[in-house]
Amino acid sequence: MMFSPQAKRRWQRFKSLKRGYYSFYAICILIFVSLFAEIWVNNRPVIIHYNDTLYFPSYGDIIPGDTFGLGYQWETNYRDLKQVFDNNPDSGNWMLEALVPYNPFENHFIEGEFPPYAPSIEHRHYLGTDMAGRDILSRLVYGFRIAILFSLFLLTISYVIGITIGALMGFLGGGFDLIFQRIIEILSNVPILYIIMIVASIITPNFWTLALMLGAFSWMGLTWYMRTETYRENTREYVLAARSIGASNWRIMFKHILPNSVSILVTFFPFSVVSGITALTSLDYLGFGLPAPTPSWGELLQQGTSNLDYQWIAASAVIALTIVLTLVTFIGEAIREAFDPKKYSYFS
Amino acid sequence: MQSYFLQRLLLIIPTFIGITLLVFTLTRLVPGGPIERMLAEAQFSGAATSSSSNGFGAQSLSEDQLDQLKAYYGFDKPVIQSYFEWLLKILTLDLGESTRYGEPVWESIKDRLPISVFYGVTTMILTYLLCIPLGIVKAIKHGAPFDHISSAFIFISYAVPGYVIGIACIAYFAANLEWFPLGGFVSDEFEYLSTWEQIKDILNHAALPLIAYMSGSLAVMTFMMKNALMENLAADYVRTATAKGFSFKQAVSRHALRNSLIPLATHFGQNIGVILGGSFLIEKIFNIDGIGLLGYEALVERDYPVVMGILVISAVLYLIGNILSDLCVAWADPRIRFGERK
Repeated sequence: MMFSPQAKRRWQRFKSLKRGYYSFYAICILIFVSLFAEIWVNNRPVIIHYNDTLYFPSYGDIIPGDTFGLGYQWETNYRDLKQVFDNNPDSGNWMLEALVPYNPFENHFIEGEFPPYAPSIEHRHYLGTDMAGRDILSRLVYGFRIAILFSLFLLTISYVIGITIGALMGFLGGGFDLIFQRIIEILSNVPILYIIMIVASIITPNFWTLALMLGAFSWMGLTWYMRTETYRENTREYVLAARSIGASNWRIMFKHILPNSVSILVTFFPFSVVSGITALTSLDYLGFGLPAPTPSWGELLQQGTSNLDYQWIAASAVIALTIVLTLVTFIGEAIREAFDPKKYSYFS
Repeated sequence: MQSYFLQRLLLIIPTFIGITLLVFTLTRLVPGGPIERMLAEAQFSGAATSSSSNGFGAQSLSEDQLDQLKAYYGFDKPVIQSYFEWLLKILTLDLGESTRYGEPVWESIKDRLPISVFYGVTTMILTYLLCIPLGIVKAIKHGAPFDHISSAFIFISYAVPGYVIGIACIAYFAANLEWFPLGGFVSDEFEYLSTWEQIKDILNHAALPLIAYMSGSLAVMTFMMKNALMENLAADYVRTATAKGFSFKQAVSRHALRNSLIPLATHFGQNIGVILGGSFLIEKIFNIDGIGLLGYEALVERDYPVVMGILVISAVLYLIGNILSDLCVAWADPRIRFGERK
């Protein structure tokens, strides 16, 4: 795929805005790392060397304890296995544990103590545990993956609806425009939380249904923009030219107007990601989001605020949210500037 | 121009009906309404006195009683019919009675109104007081270290939702350092304090929520101010002003600044809705008994008349706020003519 010179210029300009460019890298790395979270953050080790065979338990089915001579059919308790290995250093068996050796659903209990456990290097709960003894860092990583994928999916839904309706409003105008203006006004006034509570009382929302519901109520912002843009492009000469050689409305809209107005939508992209993450987090915070025990930042926030004595819970969630949302906002700011390099001629 | 605003005002009516009809219909579809709740309560408390014979606790009320209840809440009629009955009542400014407390909805709203208005107005005033000078300095010092550093902070406050900032504040300043109370609007012993102490008490309680409230609009308005002023600084008329012999300061304060305030004025109308609605999340965290929290609790408890009452007020304010925004623009910049074809 070839990029237009304009796109290249914008990319160059984006690269020159260091704050946004580095944030872009940081977010890409975070997403990449979180996509393979099973390797870094898991109670299953990355590699096990047992009786001259290598095992890679991170992905795939459970490996029963029998495999390692522990004498049971259910999943191996790798922490016990590690003990066994450590006690027999001569056996040549070893394992490479994950960096954070806890999975997000696992309630870890330390003997003689009750959760939550404060952050400690010794127990390898680097950010401590939540009220149920689940490792916070682990839940943050998996929660981030869910939040970012959720927000990308939500964004796709609302962009598809928003662009289509906005373009149609601008292109058709008249009654269609007027009716949809009202519909948008109505929809943006309906308390979205209410709709979600209603649906939640009928079905348990999952990742997809929750995103679809939110998407159905978050496409309106984009529509206004697309509408004006289509209105404007519609009066341009190239549209007239296309029409005069007999192009259909459909073709004019999708082949001519849309590519010309859609590129700038990139500037909305990061801000939509931010609002997607924010929406999911607040729903989870209120308890109307993804069902427990899904790892979630909102749920951590909730635990943190109701247990202010255990400061690491609220602190981890707030700091994680702040870092991620700020990085994405920095990207958005840089993209916006790259697209619209206003050189203010200074009065001096 | 007048006909444009008249048209806008008239268009409020279909939109208003659309919003309320949609939510009203939804309240009918939801399981767990007031009758279901009552049944559950009756089952819970009155199992012994139950006259039902079929053994199901949920049927502890007889059919007659159920019908009476349905009639009482207006659930016995079709949705459209009871919607219009409800609408007629609204037109006489009767918002109905809360199914939870039995008191008129308007009374509950009126009780909480001063708190919400206090936070809304204070937030707005403080935001303007902070944003305008900050925006001016940032515009004049564009590209300087101060601009970059303040931008970074403003972006953080923009990116992180207000309630999360609230959580951070409450966890650190209230729970950890104990500088501020954990929540509420005033202390328990408020009535016994002297006037001066009362003011101090309110401010003490208000400090953290105000930070949370302000964080959202702060970024938008500061950048609005900055960008508008920078655009105007580059305009020809500012050059003319300096050519006449104005100093930089005079050119900014007498010419550029005035024109730069227009976008902020347009923002003013949208603030009206926020004044009342606030953010229920912030109110929930700081335990402030405002209208936002009332609405949220009503939603959770399925207290439909309260939900509808708040919806009516917030929808009207939102719609009027939009028109007010336009009016502000037209007033601030006489060149703008709405509704006229170019």
